[in-house]
Amino acid sequence: MNVLETENLRFVYGENTPFEKVAVDNLNISIEKGEFVGIIGHTGSGKSTLVQLFNGLLKPSTGRVLLNDVDIWEKPKEIRKIRFQVGMVFQYPEYQLFEETVYKDISFGPKNMGLSDEEIDKRVRDAAKFVDLKDSLLEKSPFELSGGEKRRAAIAGVLAMDPEVLILDEPTAGLDPMGRDVLLSHIHAYHKTRQNTILLVSHSMEDIARTADRILVMNESKAAMFSNTAEVFSHGKELIEMGLQVPQITRIMMSLREHGYDIKPGILTVEEALQVLLQKIEKEGAAHGS
Amino acid sequence: MVRDITLGQFFPGNSILHRMDPRMKIILMLTLIIFIFITFNFFALGLVVATVVVIVGCSGVPVKLFLKSLKAVIFILLFTSVLNLFYGSGTALWHWGFLSITLAGIYFAIFISIRIIELIFISSSLTFTTQPTDLTDAIERLLKPLNHLHISVHEIAMMMTIALRFIPTLLEETDKIMSAQKARGADMESGNIVQRIKAMIPVLVPLFVSAFRRAYELAMAMECRCYRGGEGRTRMKQLHYSKVDFYCLGAVLIIVSGVILCNIFLPAVMR
Amino acid sequence: MEAFIKAEHVSFHYENEDEHQVVQKNVLEDLSLTINKGEFVAILGHNGSGKSTLAKHFNAMFLPSDGKVFVDGIDTSDEEKKYDIRTRVGLVLQNPDNQIVASIVEEDVAFGPENLGVPAEEIRKRVDSALKAVEMYEYRMHAPYKLSGGQKQRVAIAGVIAMEPSCIVLDEPTAMLDPRGRNEVLTTIEKLNREKGITIILITHYMDEAVKADRVVVMDEGKILLDGAPREVFSHVEILKKHRLDVPQATELMHRLKSHGVNINEMPLTASECIKQLEAILK
Repeated sequence: MNVLETENLRFVYGENTPFEKVAVDNLNISIEKGEFVGIIGHTGSGKSTLVQLFNGLLKPSTGRVLLNDVDIWEKPKEIRKIRFQVGMVFQYPEYQLFEETVYKDISFGPKNMGLSDEEIDKRVRDAAKFVDLKDSLLEKSPFELSGGEKRRAAIAGVLAMDPEVLILDEPTAGLDPMGRDVLLSHIHAYHKTRQNTILLVSHSMEDIARTADRILVMNESKAAMFSNTAEVFSHGKELIEMGLQVPQITRIMMSLREHGYDIKPGILTVEEALQVLLQKIEKEGAAHGS
Repeated sequence: MVRDITLGQFFPGNSILHRMDPRMKIILMLTLIIFIFITFNFFALGLVVATVVVIVGCSGVPVKLFLKSLKAVIFILLFTSVLNLFYGSGTALWHWGFLSITLAGIYFAIFISIRIIELIFISSSLTFTTQPTDLTDAIERLLKPLNHLHISVHEIAMMMTIALRFIPTLLEETDKIMSAQKARGADMESGNIVQRIKAMIPVLVPLFVSAFRRAYELAMAMECRCYRGGEGRTRMKQLHYSKVDFYCLGAVLIIVSGVILCNIFLPAVMR
Repeated sequence: MEAFIKAEHVSFHYENEDEHQVVQKNVLEDLSLTINKGEFVAILGHNGSGKSTLAKHFNAMFLPSDGKVFVDGIDTSDEEKKYDIRTRVGLVLQNPDNQIVASIVEEDVAFGPENLGVPAEEIRKRVDSALKAVEMYEYRMHAPYKLSGGQKQRVAIAGVIAMEPSCIVLDEPTAMLDPRGRNEVLTTIEKLNREKGITIILITHYMDEAVKADRVVVMDEGKILLDGAPREVFSHVEILKKHRLDVPQATELMHRLKSHGVNINEMPLTASECIKQLEAILK
């Protein structure tokens, strides 16, 4: 079943001005319930605009966005409700923290939803748990937290709305490798438990390779590819032409394949590559031995 | 959207006004603005109106943009002219209850509205044809004598420079924070004034925090680049008066003397 | 090789007031490091390892609590020589938005030399050549806020070059950039190092950037953990992983093959090296 669908979706910035720019052009895609979709594309490819169209922060110039088969702009007055269903974590979300305590900040979204106090409390604590924020931190001012903790608190603020679709725009930007790993594993675990749909926008092909089931490649306002992760990354050449990259490990294994070695395309992780290579080496060892 | 606010609204071109030294431009514009407010009869006013028409024509900036700049003050314009319409004393031309319109009132209304329009047009022609940075530069140099009064002109100019540089950045940031809070269900478009102001807190707090962080980092970056105030500082861009500047100076002097002569020798309709 | 920056037993700590008690935070501890003229050194470390603090010691923005830092023979604690040091060592910060002062590119690049009291014509020359060096000359009249992240960061680098330093320290200059911007900045600094002989100290947590340096210094907890050529440093996969750092996927793959008993002598740093080695193994 499709949770999100676009129909001839088009968005133009500054329509009818000299600065007119088409950001999303005639897009027809559908995203299934429970999928983990990676969205890649270089800066200006339209991916940030697209995700803001998904949660009704921007209104399509023409075309429609369907959430569970209903046009999200059917009742423009109720667009706020859509934003609770399609949660959006912006880039550098820690810069939106504003409350006196972390607890209050995380409860901002649920409060706006008009939930009961008990329900809010439950949601705040659940969300904090998902991103591994300790209870003792909840009563602190968000401005006293470390960089990584701030980021996680801000993400918890969106998780607490329990959205059906969660969009994350470069959640790991600016974090060090460890911070990145930890955050990605939190997101992964959240996806596993909640079984909801996640859209991850990222410049890091390694992050996408590790998490996404399918990848949407945006290029010049259009969907250039939309397919499963291994398939997309096996098109290394096309991706590079679009100013994108392929994870280093995928590149290494693809190049061996091109040099005539019998290796399946679309290897995404070091672990996978290791197993394939060990098998080959063993086989050859056995062949030489006999 | 906040993004739509244009600032400085410089309009690139190569007109006489564009080529003038910004210092001369400021001085002459100020002179003209002063003289708009000391026109006492229609001849003097006509002279200034003609001058403004010439300036607008010479600026190489579409008239549409000038008219657009009036938009912001249209309310004040109507309000003051209507108010002045009923203000004058003398024989009433028209009565309605305690309100009456006199000939003096009509004159007042005409003068006031034309003066406001001229004021907007002249100041716009300055900002349309001068890069904001040139303006700050010119102001810094024009105000240099104030250094003797222990007013740090350099610091004021540096603040203006930094403000100009960061206004677009902060506007963009405001947009981003607003979107982020809207995504969490913040409602900034409905409710009464108190509710709306309250709804701005989630935007204002992060904005202030970010402005302070930026200020801290900028101060550090400036120190790294050996900034130590105005002392011993040189400038890459030098300002020079050219022929154009002196022609314009001459023209303005002639116009100003014309206005003075009109005021002295012709009957005044305004006081 | 001639030493350019010398840190001798540097410690740096500050006091943090935490819930009514003063806690002393040690950011750098008895750290000694020599950086030679013309070197391209990458300093790696996770957030909080002290690498940014160390960077700010190189241009007298921070002074050691204990120990000494010498830049080109000058003691950084000499208050009078502060500006001499800062003209020799330029510092580029992480967020390009917060280090650009003027609203026109060329005027921002002129800011440094203006502060130094350089005559107008000379500033003009320096600004033009600095902008050309970072390939931003065509953008000299643009407004910085309209540029891309990579372009802004290159303007910031030009602003430092215009002061004609012998060394540029870059504190995570690519952390906020997209891959294209990262690439632009890296290419620029490699070029400055090779063509102009400027000493480069690149603070980063990206391993693929560190690979390009002549020398990699790995920091942890305010101390130096590893120091050597990239190949040597990245062969210590276990140590790096233990200290919250990554290695390039190519290196990790070969390391793991080795631990499974495959005979590998040298650790690869790049994809192409790795491919060559794998081909030799599979043959």
